[in-house]
Amino acid sequence: MDATLTSRGNWQSILGRYPFVPALIILIMLLVFNGMAEPNSLSFRSVNGLFKTYMALMFLAVAQTLVVSAADVDLSLGAILSLVNVTVVTTIGVFGDGPLAIVAACLVGVFVGFLCGLLNGFVVAGLNLQPIVATFATGVLFTGIALWVLPVAGMPVPSAYWRLYGGSVLGIPFIYYILAGLGLAIFLISRTTLMVKILAVGDDQQGAFQSGLPVTRIRISAYAYCGVFSAFAALCITGDTASGDPLVGNAMTLYSIAAVVLGGTALSGGKATLLGAAIGALTIGLINSLVFFVGTPSEWQNLVQGMSILVALMLGIFVSRRVEQ
Amino acid sequence: MSKLRLRSVSKRYGATVALEYGDLDLEAGEVHVLMGANGSGKSTLSKIIAGSVRPDSGIIELDGKAISITNPQAAREFGVAIFYQELSLAAHRTVAENICLSQLPSTAGVFLDRQKMIEIAERRIAPFLDVVGDGFSVNTQVGQLRADQRQLVEIMKTFAQDADILIFDEPTSALDRAQVECFLNLLREQKAAGRCIVFISHRRDEIFDIGDRITIIRDGRTVSTKVLSETNIDEVLIAMVGEGEAVAEQQSQSLPQRTEIGEIKLVVEDITNDSLQEVGFQVSAGEILGLGGLHGHGQSAILRTIFGVLDLGTGQIFLDGAAKDLNSPRAAIRNGIAYISGDRRRDGIITDRSILENVVPVYALKKHLIAASPNTLGKKARMALELLQSKYESLAHSIGSMSGGNQQKVVVARWLMDAPDILLLDDPTKGIDMATKKELFNLIRELAAQGMAIILYSSEDAELLENADRILVLNNGKIVRELKGSERTRYNLYHAAYEAA
Ligand SMILES: Nc1ncnc2c1ncn2[C@@H]1O[C@H](COP(=O)(O)OP(=O)(O)OP(=O)(O)O)[C@@H](O)[C@H]1O
Ligand SMILES: [Mg+2]
Repeated sequence: MDATLTSRGNWQSILGRYPFVPALIILIMLLVFNGMAEPNSLSFRSVNGLFKTYMALMFLAVAQTLVVSAADVDLSLGAILSLVNVTVVTTIGVFGDGPLAIVAACLVGVFVGFLCGLLNGFVVAGLNLQPIVATFATGVLFTGIALWVLPVAGMPVPSAYWRLYGGSVLGIPFIYYILAGLGLAIFLISRTTLMVKILAVGDDQQGAFQSGLPVTRIRISAYAYCGVFSAFAALCITGDTASGDPLVGNAMTLYSIAAVVLGGTALSGGKATLLGAAIGALTIGLINSLVFFVGTPSEWQNLVQGMSILVALMLGIFVSRRVEQ
Repeated sequence: MSKLRLRSVSKRYGATVALEYGDLDLEAGEVHVLMGANGSGKSTLSKIIAGSVRPDSGIIELDGKAISITNPQAAREFGVAIFYQELSLAAHRTVAENICLSQLPSTAGVFLDRQKMIEIAERRIAPFLDVVGDGFSVNTQVGQLRADQRQLVEIMKTFAQDADILIFDEPTSALDRAQVECFLNLLREQKAAGRCIVFISHRRDEIFDIGDRITIIRDGRTVSTKVLSETNIDEVLIAMVGEGEAVAEQQSQSLPQRTEIGEIKLVVEDITNDSLQEVGFQVSAGEILGLGGLHGHGQSAILRTIFGVLDLGTGQIFLDGAAKDLNSPRAAIRNGIAYISGDRRRDGIITDRSILENVVPVYALKKHLIAASPNTLGKKARMALELLQSKYESLAHSIGSMSGGNQQKVVVARWLMDAPDILLLDDPTKGIDMATKKELFNLIRELAAQGMAIILYSSEDAELLENADRILVLNNGKIVRELKGSERTRYNLYHAAYEAA
């Protein structure tokens, strides 16, 4: 009896410190399934393709985690992504397509994302509106602006942009530099005092206020950083699709929430893992690729995808419950 | 000159007057006790000093200068730190993070300096190292700690702010004797260092032990301030309830009449699980069985096992002679068992819901209610609440609008709407003021006289000794001693509790 007790205790402390472990296990299982269904799907090229396609979702999931940690939610980040995407594309059009112009356009895009996040933070934390409704509304607003900036999809980006995103530097695919950047960002953010404060606010807002934390300011910062990371996601999408589309990100909002939960973050706040969110996003990517590789007829693909995400969610929750009991 | 002065400070919530007239003088180097019945405004007064509640009117002077404390950060800058009655901890953060939360040490102003944080936390934990108990470390998540350990963390967090003015709003309600002793020693040190300390408690021994002066607060008004060594408990109680209500009458009340003990109601055999070892006993109708010993040595575990929360392990439970499989609280409730817990945040209140919704769920479960009119239910709920003289504005108000002690009364009232056969009391009076405690125990004895079987655990020895017919003393999950009749003395209780510890 003692042995089982301590091993459960070990698991508990592992899960407490690394809540993304169930997600990681599911990810590995999916990799194995993918390999069994189609060995080719694990080739270097396919894995690169997977990262290329889902890098944006990974950034979005990390962005969403920042606000979910504070027990808030952002339903506008897909719209922020779209807005940044069209902003970057049209700005490049204005600046011309030299490398400097591209960099400048990207900076403008990130700044737009930051402003959007700031606005979200202001309406949610400053004006004390319900996050779900408020960010739904700002999301519609951002989409409106995106449609005004670029009414129809299709404006192309200079080839230098997408060639870099899809190509290699010093023999290593560029996508892995981005991945390393994301990893570094996750590593650094998890170690900031701000992250601890955000999580404390998510745990018990009243308690955090009473402890003397500037709760409103902390929540606004979370939204602002969320906007910045949504903008990074937009830069990836722009590289992947090589064009501007005012509606490209809207469907991704809820995927980002699913990824956050798959990764082991609690929507009720206070318990979050940025790395888990990134893993969750990859899990969704792998599910989609698996559904494709097992040859699901196209009319069934959505259904199978949905069911698979549900199963993955249940597995994750089942594992954590068993351990926590 | 006094360090901090409050002059006619007031606070209302809608029609409720939480604090009508607060006057307080704090000297440096004193422990100033605040005492008053539940809902009299002690916490409100404390929160005003700590900046988490803005007063409607009144003057606050620090070192003779009028100040306005607009929020907790401002209070911290004025040198105020507070222990909140309902705690201010983040459940998923570690002990160290919670202790340092208000002033997280950082490198470059951005990154958390984990090592320094752990050093600070360890320094604050050090004085309590012998009494924190198992499963406590700087890296433990606060949500996984026991109630008493969480309370210790809040204490450490308060000390960690190195403030000149320390406010403790019922810091000892979940602590055992050793923990309280340790805490009071620290308070003495702080006092000697010239800090001024506000101390709120409903426990008589502590108040007279540590306090220098006492301010009594009644119905939102501070009525008198006295030097503790020149007053006594009777004077204090009279000031608390008002001259009119004759305290003398309550004093003259003799020890309760022991009723005839009836048939055996509940038999527990050989429970061994994660926290208990070979626990077995029986309780009869009309009997109050006490559980004693140091806090957290299995008393709650016994009650929670019978109630179906914890795994029964190898044991068996018989109700009225028949073996019963109580594997969930639902089954236990349906079999006529009630469980009242002092840890109301975990087991009791349904946060953010109305008072009515907090009183009726058990009744609804037992009566298999599917639909009910708030009016008829409300009448029943009000009756149960009145039994305990609960103070509330209306049944529709959120439970969070009640004072701590009154919330606890709601939890008790919930079980009184429909009388159970077996009543399990897990430190039920935590946070309830002295006058109401007396009422509650009168009620409990009455229920026993009507044939209910009652098991009582209390962290206050006096309550056990005065009310239990028989006391089982626990140590490390084992029953080590049974105290009957004239054996029920404080000495025997301490002796058995500390024997093997
Ligand atoms: N946020 C609130 N909204 C409405 N009423 C409140 C609120 N906070 C406190 N009150 C009311 O103010 C009164 C004083 O409450 P307070 O918490 O100060 O009492 P207390 O003296 O600390 O009591 P206890 O000993 O039970 O902790 C109570 O009647 C309570 O119902
Ligand atoms: Mg109080």
